[in-house]
This record gives sequence, structure tokens and C-alpha cells, in this order.
Amino acid sequence: MNIVVCIKQVPEVTDAELEITKDGTDIDKEDLEMSINEWDNYAVEEAVRIKEAHGGKVTVVTLGDEDAEDVLRRALAMGADEAILIDEEDFEGSDAVGIAKGLYAAVKDLDFDLLFTGVQSSDDAWGQVGLLMAEWLELPFASLAVKIELGQGKALVQRELEANTLEQVELPLPAAVTIQTGINEPRYVSIMGIRKVRNIEIQQRTAGDLGLSDMEIGEQGSHVAQRRLSLPEEGEGAEILTGSLDEICERAAQIIRDRGGVA
Amino acid sequence: MIPHRPMFWHIEYVWLFYVLAAVAGGLFLAGVAAHVWVWKRAARYFRIPFSQKAVKKTLVDALLGRRVFQGNMAAGAMHFLLFWGFLVLFIGTLLLAAHHYVHPFLIGSLYLGFSMAMEIGGAMLMLGLLWAIFRRYIQRIPRLETTKEDALVVAWLVLVVLSGFVVEGLRMAFQHPQWGGWSFVGNCIGNLLTISASESLYPYLWWVHTLLALGFIAVIPFTKLFHLIGAPASLYVQNTPKTPLAPEDETVETLDLADLVFFDACMRCGRCVEVCPSAGVGEPFAPRDFVQAMRLRLWMEYSPFGDVRFLSRGHEKKMAERIWYCTTCRACLEVCPIYGATFEAIRKMRAVAIEEGTQVPQILIQTLDKLYRYNNPWEASKKKRAAWAKELDLVDLTKTEKETELCYFVGCTTSFDTRAQEIARSFSWILQKAGINFGILGKKEPCCGDIARRVGEIGLFHEQVDACLKLFSNYGIEHVVTSSPHCFHTFQNEYPEAPFKARHYTQVLHDLIVQRKMEFEKKLEVTVTYHDPCYLGRYNRIFDEPREVIRAIPGIRLVEMAHHGPDSLCCGGGGGRMWQEDLDGETKMSEIRIKEAHATGAQILITACPLCLIMLEDARKTSGLEEELRVMDLNELVAEAMGKGNNI
Repeated sequence: MNIVVCIKQVPEVTDAELEITKDGTDIDKEDLEMSINEWDNYAVEEAVRIKEAHGGKVTVVTLGDEDAEDVLRRALAMGADEAILIDEEDFEGSDAVGIAKGLYAAVKDLDFDLLFTGVQSSDDAWGQVGLLMAEWLELPFASLAVKIELGQGKALVQRELEANTLEQVELPLPAAVTIQTGINEPRYVSIMGIRKVRNIEIQQRTAGDLGLSDMEIGEQGSHVAQRRLSLPEEGEGAEILTGSLDEICERAAQIIRDRGGVA
Repeated sequence: MIPHRPMFWHIEYVWLFYVLAAVAGGLFLAGVAAHVWVWKRAARYFRIPFSQKAVKKTLVDALLGRRVFQGNMAAGAMHFLLFWGFLVLFIGTLLLAAHHYVHPFLIGSLYLGFSMAMEIGGAMLMLGLLWAIFRRYIQRIPRLETTKEDALVVAWLVLVVLSGFVVEGLRMAFQHPQWGGWSFVGNCIGNLLTISASESLYPYLWWVHTLLALGFIAVIPFTKLFHLIGAPASLYVQNTPKTPLAPEDETVETLDLADLVFFDACMRCGRCVEVCPSAGVGEPFAPRDFVQAMRLRLWMEYSPFGDVRFLSRGHEKKMAERIWYCTTCRACLEVCPIYGATFEAIRKMRAVAIEEGTQVPQILIQTLDKLYRYNNPWEASKKKRAAWAKELDLVDLTKTEKETELCYFVGCTTSFDTRAQEIARSFSWILQKAGINFGILGKKEPCCGDIARRVGEIGLFHEQVDACLKLFSNYGIEHVVTSSPHCFHTFQNEYPEAPFKARHYTQVLHDLIVQRKMEFEKKLEVTVTYHDPCYLGRYNRIFDEPREVIRAIPGIRLVEMAHHGPDSLCCGGGGGRMWQEDLDGETKMSEIRIKEAHATGAQILITACPLCLIMLEDARKTSGLEEELRVMDLNELVAEAMGKGNNI
């Protein structure tokens, strides 16, 4: 059972104070820590678990700058066997379609039974890459997978739908699946685990290697252009408390009391 | 007639005795050899260095049973009777063999002395056994288990001793030697029997006794009785200097010989369970269970026959998830008669779990991610580390050329937690007031590595050690004082040849008092009690300094809690537990502690560790003691007495 997993490095923004860059099209990533996209972490774990149970190999692919090697190494430490890094240089300004083209080109000649991506990435959140690749590869596709079972030449996939309903679908292999968070509990990756895989060679690809021209990717090849990014404005009824911790607590408690929050 | 004892009196088929003795001896030796073989296969290093200190300690501890007496006279006396009774009979039997095979010397008065010693030995053993039975089955001391093995071992020994005395009595009844009074127990029994009965019964009972005694010898290595060999071995190995690990070996820590001997020597006495704070609040963990699970696991893994203990307690299936409960408080080591450091073995098993990755609790993974990315377990920010010092005029050692004599290493918890930040503010204020030329590392201060080490993230620990050492050497830092006993312990005892000297702030405060650099302006008419943090007290034996600092404050009265000094109770925050709240059960360790503090009648509970401060402060609130008891760090108390603020 060979599995390909497409992963992405994204900035950690949960507790960070975000700032918009001067040209207004992106957040300032200068001081942000980078990590693997949360959905992709579950996808790698799921692939490694399937490999551990059924044999085969796991290949991870990412499109990014040289720092993106970190997420590949991390995936190798989790148990992936091979890693491919597509240099993002010529992909500058690509929309989701452009990114998907790059990944598709790198993946299409690989021998695999399952193609995983995360449902979406936490930064751009288009949620398109997995679907687009499945379409171009002419693979049966299931999104939002929360459970995968393998049968003879097929995969039984449980999909998470609204209001806690689950749908089970059966896909003949090879197939493409986008992985939802919570499908498993991703394992811990230790510092030593990462150190142990430092000598595994990471295969490098450029847009040129993959036979992609400027017309297909980057700004020129994109249908969607990013115009402006903004932080949400303070709306009506929102109040940001300032002052010392005691003052903030006092004020918060007062508001709760005033509005009848506690009897 | 000269007093003596006829050998193999009335016994036929003496050759059979030799065959059985050889079988029993062979089984015994094979069992012991199997242990050594398993240790050798499982240990990372199998080296037994010679150490005079260890020999001395082993002899004293084993012969006097010092560690068994410690804090438990009743158990100590029981062990003393069993140990000496057994030893006397064992040596006596050897002497008798020498008398028979080498040179007859047990005759005359020497024989009478021998007779009496054997009699006393047997009586001691019997008394010890009865006491043991009383303690385990009638008094039902909670820490003592009642497994099949426990019953079998004690019943078997009772039968050996009893049959021995009866056989002796039968012989006495028949022979009626005039020196019979020296064998007082046997003689008493003999007086109850008739000559004819004794003559016919004697050979049968002799064989019963012989079989029981030889059988007993044979089962020693295959039951908990192995502690006869294991305990002295453990005493010795635990007290020899540890083989230092080469840097390349330090990456994955595995068990060493001392751990393995300890697991096999454990008698399940349960003293560790009694003092374990986690077991104490009903969490599903106890050091003894871990030790037994490890013993079984190692035998299953390294012995081709599986476990040799035929009455083993069986599998502890959930041990893999339970290793995270240990707070590494070290209380179990204080009481273990054979110096078993369960928490060290736990740390090693955590390291294995961390490398394997799939059995690490998710909440711990989040903490470790934060620790790796942001160099602290609290907040996803490096910048906010120095926020507590914003309004204070402190020297940042990473931004100045100024020479300072002391680097104040604030530590993660003290830097980020709003309650614990008071420690840093008070301590800085005290140092400033005392005219000490010191600085801090500001937002460049790294994590010392304590948490990574305690939860088994060895790779991260070593990265943090390197980062710290590099930073210290870059800024020429030679003297460090820490807020946290955890940072202090890690620097002091777990850094490889640290080129700097670390102290805990309680030591610095103590020095300031001794050097009269600190002046108290206020009389504090309050009663306080002091909570010993594990890593300050038990780990580094700093019990007196903080108490002397407290007593130096005018007007103050210090009272002690029921558990204090080496017996102090853990607050529940060590060993990574601070960041794994989901392991907490209905009762928290800190709540037990705060109630004990409250019972002293003190108005203030003083501690000297940011983790203890946070845990106890929380417990004060959840236990509804907010009005009656305050929790303060020693720095806050001292600063108050020196005139900072007016809170007491």
C-alpha cells in the first residue's frame, strides 16, 4: 500500500499578534514560527498508520521555500519514507489551482494507491488542492475523511457531514482522500527523531523539472489574485479591556454582573 | 558423656538426601544465574565497580536493617527477627556441615553454645514470622498486599521452622540427653511426646522437614524471596558510583544495572505506595505497580522462558499510559529500603515513549511543541518573557558591557505566570536593596531544560543545555541564581561539567542574612509554616536555609506541618504535571497539602518554588481557605519585612 501525502508549511498564528505587510496582501511572517498545517499532520499520521499495518511506503510532497524542508523532515521522522520538495520560486502569486498543478506534476508519475491531503490549509483555506489533483489524476475522491478502512482493492471512508452525521463511501483504489482533523491522534515527533532522519535525501524539483511554464503557474497562470488582506474591525458591542490584570478582571466581572450573567 | 549431636540419626537412604540437596542447590543457583543473565542482557552497561563505601553501606544496611527500621520500628523489628533468625540458622547449618565433613569441632561446651544459638535463631525466625502474619493478615496494614505468593512464602517458612522444632523434639524425647536444657524449645516439645511415638515418627518427620527446607532453598530465586540475594545486591549497586554516559550514549537512555537489580529485589513492601503523592490522592499509579510491571516486562523480553516467578502478580496492561502520573517528587526513594529510584526509571521509560511517539498524551505534545518553538511551556511568545521587569530598572546582561557579579536566572514559570512573577519582582527588589550588582537575561533567557528532561525529551533537553551554556559563555556568566528549585537542580546536577556556579535564591537570601546585608524594618507578628519544595529539599537537601531566613525575620513564628523536611508532601506540579491538568483526579495533591498547612493554625504558608506557589495558591481557592490562609513565596515575605509594600 503506497501512499502519497501532500503537506504544507504554515505560520503559527493561534497566539501570535498578527500584522499586515505594507503592501496589504499578506500577514507579516517575519517573527512567526512555522509548522506543519494541522490537517496535514493528521494526514501524515494516517498514512504512516496504514503503512505500519499493511506495509508499503509513504511519500510526502510539499511546495515551499528551503525552510519547508522542516515539515518534510518532521514527516520522515513520523515514519514517511521519501520526501519531495518543489521549489516555490516560480509559483509566486499562484492561486490554489497553481499550487495544485505543481503538486500534480510531481505526483502523477509516482506509483501509489492512496493520495492524501489535508481538507484545507490553515493559512489560505481554499480547500481545493486535494479535489483538483483527484480530478486531474482521474481518481475517485472523498473529502472530510474521519475514518479509513482498507478492503480488497478498495477503501471504506467515513466522511464527516453536518450535525454529527457520518457518511460511509467506498472507493476503488487508487483513490484520493482529504483528511479531516480528529481522524487519529498524531504521534509526537521528538528532536532526536528528526535528527535521525537528517541524512535521508530530499528530492528537489523546480517548476522547470516538472515541465510547468510561467503561463500555467504563478501570477500569470492564476485565475484568482489576492488583492487585500485586513484584520477584522472592531464591531458594535465589542469592547477591548485595557489596564492592569486586576483592573481588567474587575471590569470583566462588572460587565458580567451588569448584564445578568451571574445572579 | 560429652555433649554432641549424632548426625543422620535413625535415617536411612542418606544418599537420597544428597541427591535432593544437589537438586535444590542446583535450582537455586540456576535461578540466581538466570537473574544475572537477564540483567546482563537488559542493562545498557553491566559494570560492577568496586567501592569500599558501597561495601560498608551494604553491610551496615543489610546486617542492621537500618533502612527497614527507619520510620517504622514495628516493621524493622519484624525484619530484624526474620533476618537474624534466618542468618543464624544458615550459618549454623554451614558449621554443622563443616563439623561433619571437615573436622568435628561441635563437641562439649562449643556444641552447647551452638545448640542454644540455633535454638534462639529458630525462635527468632518463628517470632518474626508470626509477627509478619499478624501485620499482614490481622492488623491488615494497607501497604502490604495479600497475593498468593505472600501467603505461600510465609506459610512455607512457618512449616520449615515448625517441622524443624518438632523433629528436634522427637529426637529429644527419645534420647533425653542431660544437656537437653540448652535446646530449650526442642526439649519442651520432647517432654510432651512418648518415646515409642517419637521413634516411629522421627524418620518420617525428618524427611518432611528436609524436603520443606530444601524446597524452600530451591524456590528462593523464583519468588519474592529473591530479595535475599537481590536486596544486598541492590544496596551495593545503588551505592556505587554510576557509570557516566558518553555523550553519544546519552541520546537514548535505557535502564542500567542498578534499575534492573532494584526491580528484581523489590519485596513489594509498599512503603513507596504509602508516601507516593499520586497514589495518595487515588490516581491510578503507584511506584510498586510500576516496578512490578517493569520486572515482568523485562523478563518477558529478555528471558527465553518468560517470567521465572511462578506466582507473579500478572500483567499491568496500562503502565504505558500511567508513567505520566509520577511527579518525580523523590519521596519513594526516601523510604525504599533498597534505595530504588523509581522516578529515575520512570524518566527513562518516558524517554522511550517520547522517541516512539504514539503513546504521548496530546496535551503533553502541545506543551513540548511550545517548549521547542518558544523556549517556554507557557506562552506562544518569546518576547513576553521579560514583560514582568518592564517597570523595574534592571540590568539586561545581553545588552550591557557592565560587569555584574550575579546573573538572576528567572526561569519560564516565574517569567510568564502572573502569580509567580511576584517572586521575580520581590527577589529583584531585595537584591537591589541589599546592593547586589546583578543582571537578568531579558527575553533571551532560555529554558534550563528541566521540563524536557523530566518528561523524557532527551533531544530537546540537550539542545536547551547547549543553548544555555552558549549564552552563559557569550556573556561571561559565572554565577547564577534561580527562582526555581527545578532550574537550580538541573543546572547543578544535570548539566555536564557546568562552567558556572548555580545557587537557589534561598541560599542567596541566607548568605545576605549571614553577611548582614539585609535589614528588616518591620516586625511581622504572624505564624507561618514552610512547605519544602521537592527539588530543593529532597533532591538537594536544602532544608535549613529557608527556615533560618524565616526565623531571622523579627516577630515571626514558624510552625511545622505534619509532613516536612524529607517527608514533605509534593504540591503535584513536578515532573511535567504542571502542564498535564487532565491527569488530575477528584482530589488534587495540592489540596491535601493546603489542608495540612491549614491544620497548623498558621496564617501564611511559605514556599520557595514557583510551581508550588501556583499549585498551592490554586488549592487554597478550591479548598475554600481564601479567608483563613495565605500562600506566599519566601521572597515576598522577606521583601515585606524589609519594608516593600504593606500586605501583612
